[in-house]
Amino acid sequence: MDCKIVPSVCSYCGTGCGVLFQVLDGKLMGTMPMKTHPVNEGKLCIKGWNLHEHVNSFMRLKQPLVKTFGRFIKTGWDEAIQLTADRFRGIIEKYGPDSIGVLVSAKITNEENYLGQKFSRAVIGTNNVDHCARL
Amino acid sequence: MTEFRQKVFTEDDMQAQVKEWLEQGKVDVFLAYKMIQGHPLPYCFTRNDLDEVNELIPGPIRYPLEKIATKIAARYPDVKIGLLVRDCNQRALNVLYVWNQLNPENVETISVNCCPSKLKEHADCSYLEPKKAGPYKKQVGVDNNMDLEDMDAYGRQERFNRWMYEFKKCIKCYGCRDICPVCFCKECSLEHDDLIGTGDLPPEVPIFHLVRAVHMAGRCIDCGLCEDACPVDIPLRLLYKKVNEIVMDVFEYETGTSPSQNPFSVLGDTVTLKPKPISEAA
Repeated sequence: MDCKIVPSVCSYCGTGCGVLFQVLDGKLMGTMPMKTHPVNEGKLCIKGWNLHEHVNSFMRLKQPLVKTFGRFIKTGWDEAIQLTADRFRGIIEKYGPDSIGVLVSAKITNEENYLGQKFSRAVIGTNNVDHCARL
Repeated sequence: MTEFRQKVFTEDDMQAQVKEWLEQGKVDVFLAYKMIQGHPLPYCFTRNDLDEVNELIPGPIRYPLEKIATKIAARYPDVKIGLLVRDCNQRALNVLYVWNQLNPENVETISVNCCPSKLKEHADCSYLEPKKAGPYKKQVGVDNNMDLEDMDAYGRQERFNRWMYEFKKCIKCYGCRDICPVCFCKECSLEHDDLIGTGDLPPEVPIFHLVRAVHMAGRCIDCGLCEDACPVDIPLRLLYKKVNEIVMDVFEYETGTSPSQNPFSVLGDTVTLKPKPISEAA
C-alpha cells in the first residue's frame, strides 16, 4: 500500500488555489483544499473539489485525435504534430501569417503562456495572440 | 507558526511512540502532519522510511485525517491505521465506528491538544476564534458565533428570512460535504437528480441545505470543518447544532460521544416518540 498526500496547484483557472491530492497506489482518490495556502485559505470551488474526477474520467482524452473523413481517429503525438505543422505551413504560405491566431489559456502555466506567445510571434510570425481571461 | 511550535511539548514522545508502533507492526500507516514546502500538511508515515517520523508534527493545522483513513480502509480493510486525534477527530471516529466505516480494532490513536477556545487556552489547532460577523450580516443574516438560544429567540419569519439570506449566498461547491469526516455515503442525495437539480445554479434554497442538515442528524460531530471550508461563510455549524439538539431531545442520542452507541437501536428501543421539540416550536 502506498498512500501519499501531494500538494499541488489547481489547474482549472488562473487563480492558482492550493490543493492536496490524496493518492493511493498511484491513483487519485480525492482532492482537498490546502488550508495554509495564501490564495484560497482552505476553500475551493466545485471544479477544484473535483479535480480527481477530471483525471480519472473515462472521457478524458489521452492521445491526439485526427479528424479524417468526418471521424476522429486516434493517432500518435509525432504524427499529430507533423500534420498540424504541415497544415499551418500550407495556410501561412497561401494566406500569410496573420491568417492564424493563437489563443492561450488561463488553465496553463505562466511559462506555457509565454511559450504560446513566443510560438505565435517567432514561429508563425503573427501578433494575433489572445487569452480567454482578457476581458 | 513559531507560537504554535513553542506550545508543542510532546512532539518527541509522539515521534518515539509512532516509530515504536510502526516497528512493532501495531500500525501499518500513521496519519499525522509534516512540514512540506513551508506548509503543515497531512502525511502518511509508513515503516518504509522510519527516519521521516522525526519530522512528524501535531499541527497547527487541522485536516479530516479520519476521512483519509476511511478511504484507505475502503480499499484495504485489514490495514492497521494510526492517527493523531483531537477531540473532534475522536468524535468523528466514534461516528465512523458505529456506522461501520472503520473497524475500531484496526485503528490506533494518539491524542493531541484540541482547538483553542476560552476554555482551552493551551491548544494548537487551526480552529481559532471564528471571524467576527460584519454589521450587515448581523443585521440581515446569521452571525456564525450566535448560540442556539439567541437564534430561537427570533420569530419564525425572521429566522426564515435570516437563514434564506445565508443560503442564497451558496455557490454550490459541495465543499461542506466533501470535507465532512462523517459524510461517507457512496450515493449522495445532494447528487440525486430527482431530489436536487444537479448542475443548476443558483442552488435550490433552502432545500439543498436542509437536505444536508437532515442528513447530519446523528452524524454531525460539530468539528466545524464545513464552516472552515465554506467560501461564503454560511453558519453551517449552528444549523447542524440545531438538528442534533432535536436528536438529543427526542432520542437522547448524543452524537459521537461513544463508539458503541448504535444509532440503529435508538428507534423504538428506549424512546416513546412524543413530538417534543416540534410542538414547542414557536
